[in-house]
Amino acid sequence: METPEPSDQELVARTQAGDATAYDELVRRFSPRLYGLVYNMTSSHEDTHDLLQEIFAKGYRSIKSFQGKSSFHTWMHTISVNMTINFLKKRNRRRTMSLDDIDNGVLNDPDFIEATSATDPSNEANLSELQKKLNESLMKLSHDHRAVVTMFDIQGIPHAEIAKILKVSEGTVRSRLFYAHKQLQNLLREFINP
Amino acid sequence: MESNESVSRLLRLKRYEQPPPGYFEEFLSEFQCRQRAEVIQRPLWAITWDRIARFLTPPTLPRLAMGASFAAVILGATLMLVPETRLQPTSTGEQSPFSLAGAAPSLPAATESLRPEKPMSSVQYVLPAHPVGYASSRSF
Repeated sequence: METPEPSDQELVARTQAGDATAYDELVRRFSPRLYGLVYNMTSSHEDTHDLLQEIFAKGYRSIKSFQGKSSFHTWMHTISVNMTINFLKKRNRRRTMSLDDIDNGVLNDPDFIEATSATDPSNEANLSELQKKLNESLMKLSHDHRAVVTMFDIQGIPHAEIAKILKVSEGTVRSRLFYAHKQLQNLLREFINP
Repeated sequence: MESNESVSRLLRLKRYEQPPPGYFEEFLSEFQCRQRAEVIQRPLWAITWDRIARFLTPPTLPRLAMGASFAAVILGATLMLVPETRLQPTSTGEQSPFSLAGAAPSLPAATESLRPEKPMSSVQYVLPAHPVGYASSRSF
């Protein structure tokens, strides 16, 4: 019989008691999610990699102060968003975009087919054009708006959870999302079917 | 509202952007190496202190409470030790400033009733047993 996987809470408690292997498991569990968050805010694989290393190192150093008032997921997302925004402020205009590979599954996604049907008939060309355009458009948003769009639209995190992560009200989250969508509508007009 | 949904659908396509296969395993290995390097670079006293603190404190105990308890223990220990050491007569025959043993012999024996309400330990042994004036400080 397989032993059930320990919960995040158990792993956190074990890490707090000095078990470094428990933290390794947390890194394994959370790195894909946090990678997505940081990558979509920076649009750079190299920056995401370095930043994510620092985020997990900070998480490890501060884990004793984690009292479980929020979930570990929320806590790590808060650290990640804050560190990424600080990083972006420093990086400022030095934009280094390096796009990750797109899983070929996207070619069969109905949303992709619909978005690109009006343009070039070659899917490959459409894919790279759409990817470039999406990233450029995201980079034109303010850091706060980009964080909200990344968490809500790309990662599928609900409004209430985003509000906890950013320590703002749900109304603020909805308002940021509204203005960010409005801006993106203009930037991605050619891919939005009327 | 519909174009709002179109934007959301386009953004969802970004979920397909992934790092190369095996990336996260390598990421973890690099993280472990960096952690070890960080530990090695730390001074020995900091590592020792961390281990002692981790051993002594449960992880859920808030730092403030821990600090307050520690301070209380130190204060308690100080209060228990200091008065006793100050009342101990010295072996050189010096008289303790709190001892009545060397008081003037003219004091009547009835002065026992004037004893302070809170007797100090060294005084309590002298007064009931011997006349005040004849007790030697060496009799302890």
